[in-house]
Amino acid sequence: MMSYYEQSAPPPRDSRLKIGDSYAGNARGLVDCGRDGCLLQKGRGFWQTNACQMMLSLMMAVTVENSLIVIHAPGGCGAMLHPLSAQAAKGKGRRGKTPAAPPWLSTNLTEADVIGGGERKLRETIEYADREFRPEIIFVVVTCAPSIIGDDAEEVVRQTRSAVNADVVSLHCPGFGSRVVASAYDAFYHGILRGLELTPKPWVDSRPRPGGGPATELAEKKYQSRKSRTVNVWNATSIGADDEDEVKRLLSALGLSARFFAEYSSRDELRQVSEAALNVSMCNVHDDYILKYLDEKFSAPYVIAGMPIGFRHTRQWLLRVAERFGLEKEAAALADDEEKLARKAIAPFVAQTRGKSVLICGGVVRVGAEATTLAELGFKILGIRAYHYDDGAEPIYADLAENLPDAPVAVSNQLFELTHQIKSLKPDLVISHNGTQGYIAKLGVPAIQLFSPDGAFFGYTGLYRILRRIVFELKNTSYRDRLSQRVRLPYRQSYFEGDAFKYIKN
Amino acid sequence: MSDFSDFIESPRSACALAGALSAIGNLPEVIPIIHTSLGCGGNLANSVAFGAGYLGGGYCSGGAAPSTGVTETEIVFGGGDRLAEQISSTFELIDGKLYIVATGCMTEMIGDDAAGIVSNFRDGVKPILAVSTPSFKGDSYHGYEIALDGIFNHYLPRAKANNPKLVNIFGLVPGYDPFFRGDLEEIERLLIALGLEVNTFFTPGQTFENLTSAPAAALNIVLSRVWGLELAERFAERHATPYIATDLPIGPEATDGFLRLIAQRLGLEAESVIERENEVFYGYFERCADAFCDGDLKFYAITVANSTYAIPLSRFVSRELGWIVLDTFVTDKLTAEQKAALDREHPIQFVAGVQEIARAINRDHPKGGGQRYFDDITPLYIIGSTLEKRTAAARGARHLSVSFPAYDRFITDRGYAGYRGGLHLFEDLIGQIMSVKS
Repeated sequence: MMSYYEQSAPPPRDSRLKIGDSYAGNARGLVDCGRDGCLLQKGRGFWQTNACQMMLSLMMAVTVENSLIVIHAPGGCGAMLHPLSAQAAKGKGRRGKTPAAPPWLSTNLTEADVIGGGERKLRETIEYADREFRPEIIFVVVTCAPSIIGDDAEEVVRQTRSAVNADVVSLHCPGFGSRVVASAYDAFYHGILRGLELTPKPWVDSRPRPGGGPATELAEKKYQSRKSRTVNVWNATSIGADDEDEVKRLLSALGLSARFFAEYSSRDELRQVSEAALNVSMCNVHDDYILKYLDEKFSAPYVIAGMPIGFRHTRQWLLRVAERFGLEKEAAALADDEEKLARKAIAPFVAQTRGKSVLICGGVVRVGAEATTLAELGFKILGIRAYHYDDGAEPIYADLAENLPDAPVAVSNQLFELTHQIKSLKPDLVISHNGTQGYIAKLGVPAIQLFSPDGAFFGYTGLYRILRRIVFELKNTSYRDRLSQRVRLPYRQSYFEGDAFKYIKN
Repeated sequence: MSDFSDFIESPRSACALAGALSAIGNLPEVIPIIHTSLGCGGNLANSVAFGAGYLGGGYCSGGAAPSTGVTETEIVFGGGDRLAEQISSTFELIDGKLYIVATGCMTEMIGDDAAGIVSNFRDGVKPILAVSTPSFKGDSYHGYEIALDGIFNHYLPRAKANNPKLVNIFGLVPGYDPFFRGDLEEIERLLIALGLEVNTFFTPGQTFENLTSAPAAALNIVLSRVWGLELAERFAERHATPYIATDLPIGPEATDGFLRLIAQRLGLEAESVIERENEVFYGYFERCADAFCDGDLKFYAITVANSTYAIPLSRFVSRELGWIVLDTFVTDKLTAEQKAALDREHPIQFVAGVQEIARAINRDHPKGGGQRYFDDITPLYIIGSTLEKRTAAARGARHLSVSFPAYDRFITDRGYAGYRGGLHLFEDLIGQIMSVKS
């Protein structure tokens, strides 16, 4: 891995992992197809627009405290930041930070720049941004256009680092680099690990110094003791403050102190990354890139153990973290206790939802975890739709193959395929990714968000809230029923008479 | 930061592709085929779907829009085959009356010949055209013009007959003029009252036939001093339809003038409509005088909007409300010629950056800083975009979002044009003040 970290730009996830975004079959087939590489060959003959790794990179960068974003692009990239920054400001407020939307600038590459190069403009924009806004971090987002014309953005970043006050972090995330949006996690973390310090700075960060006598020695012991119980938990845009609170609550119950990175962190906070006993992932496809780096760089061990959704996955996640501290017995007892309370709390909801059929659509790990969770509570899983698939998700799909061997599994972020599946499978409920809810409503089908930064989905609190939200949704579906009667779909009727996945190519 | 080619802080527009997609996505049964990587269409659509009063997506826009989704492979070997395949499959799957291939920066840079590929699909059964909308060619306003130019001046055949009662409305850019639908509907209502038939193209009541009938129009009305002009000129060359460019009328005085202008141009009588509309307007407006005047709601005003909206806004608050306009910030990127075409009744500043505007306000209108005798600019009302909210808060000013981006309010059929629009604008400006009472 270290060779990746030394490159100025990260590898697209496509070249680092076995990855795909087009598949229809079941979990076992998907795992096999991922292993033997057949997934790599697949594509579609028809595509609908979606998102790109630049957009997700922006979504992450916009949360970082006291930062500023310079988008090295023509004027359109980043237009989505207007509504995104409002959400990020809310997220900051929710975590006790100043709810400010960070400034952002576009280098606004024109025809002349595309021909003559945009390096000068990038430098000027970074210098202006630093002078005018005094941020702690400037994210330089390198998009399609400068990547194609061969701008040496990295050299500009290297040069400006010495000329500006801010730390300059480059995020290389051209949209054409990968159809898989999750590649942005690697792009973002690559920028963070190369552009920022992830360990305390002498004389800046308070730390006991060796050789200072008995008092310092005691302070150092305290420090080490605290560090030995501190875990870094790696978050993401899809993980809201309520989910962080739930994870913190559960880890605290085990005597562990949890801190969350890298979203909603500041430069100063990020320098504490090395000062933890363990790095913990909350999703297999989010953060292996940086966790492996921290392991190599600081010998900081890590745990990647799925997503803490539902009883079984949460228990497993807790146990995997706990075993690093010799706390397996405590974690099992905690899970027993929490499950007892939660089972009682969800009982009325479970009674109302038993037998409901559901189609689940969104991030690869979450949909897998959600499917088995709901199946265990008596839902009928009609289908699972993962936005992408890569090696990281294999444990989840192996688990799925064992527990729900017959459930149809598709790798698809495509609305037309979702529309077909909803019309042909006729689920009682769809649980789906943000950005699809309006389209699902127009089909007249009840639906809830798979995640939302404003909701709770993780652990015991999350499970209760998911079920409560499902029951809430089913209490009145009139809006959708009425809306769908008046909405005309753009797809020809003949498509719905054939295979939903007819455009997937091998 | 005033040069067209300079970097921009928080752009209040996006790229040519964005403007083209916003226009296409609001036209009835017109299907975009976006020849870019998979993200462009989604990102750009979302910026208006959630950033322009929550405009959302329609029939086959937003996340439903077909796209070639080019990757590294196409960047290296060319995206022509992928485009051809996507056109075929779009024809097969998506039901539309007109398909428009819109390019983006990466496919233009690698030299894909979208127009050439599209010409292979011109079998007369499925109408298709290509427009060249790379982001570096211009912003969203340009994209609107490029897309409409493709439809009206390249795709649609020359008019066979002229309809002396028919007019086309141009100049309002979907999304980037957040009230385009309400504004167009009010203009349509008034022109129908004059006895005209009206193509507004972008409102829910319009059909594909409004597009195809457009070449027969007797007059193109451009509700902007800048945007839609080049389109109207080319339209005149191709279809011999003359055009008239005028400010978007907001409120009774401006709308009286607008109706007289159009009536005069087409040899119609406007006075009875003007009289009736004023009766209704003042029937409401008169009653507002109690709250407006007893509440002492007179303000200094600063407007921040594109060239289409900023000047009519300043004029409205000045003429109809008697407020004192201090600054009119025009935020779209204009050439010297375009700047010269704007009305200067109120002094204009061509500044777009949020920080720059805040700085200009503080520079030109210093705060009192606690001095007892200081003639400052309170009470102040900033009428701009959501980006001005913080600027207003810092100055203790009232604030209403009327320009892009507007994501602190929700817009359906609301508009500020015409008589009804004047009432709505007044209602919203004063409503902001009333809404904090408890």
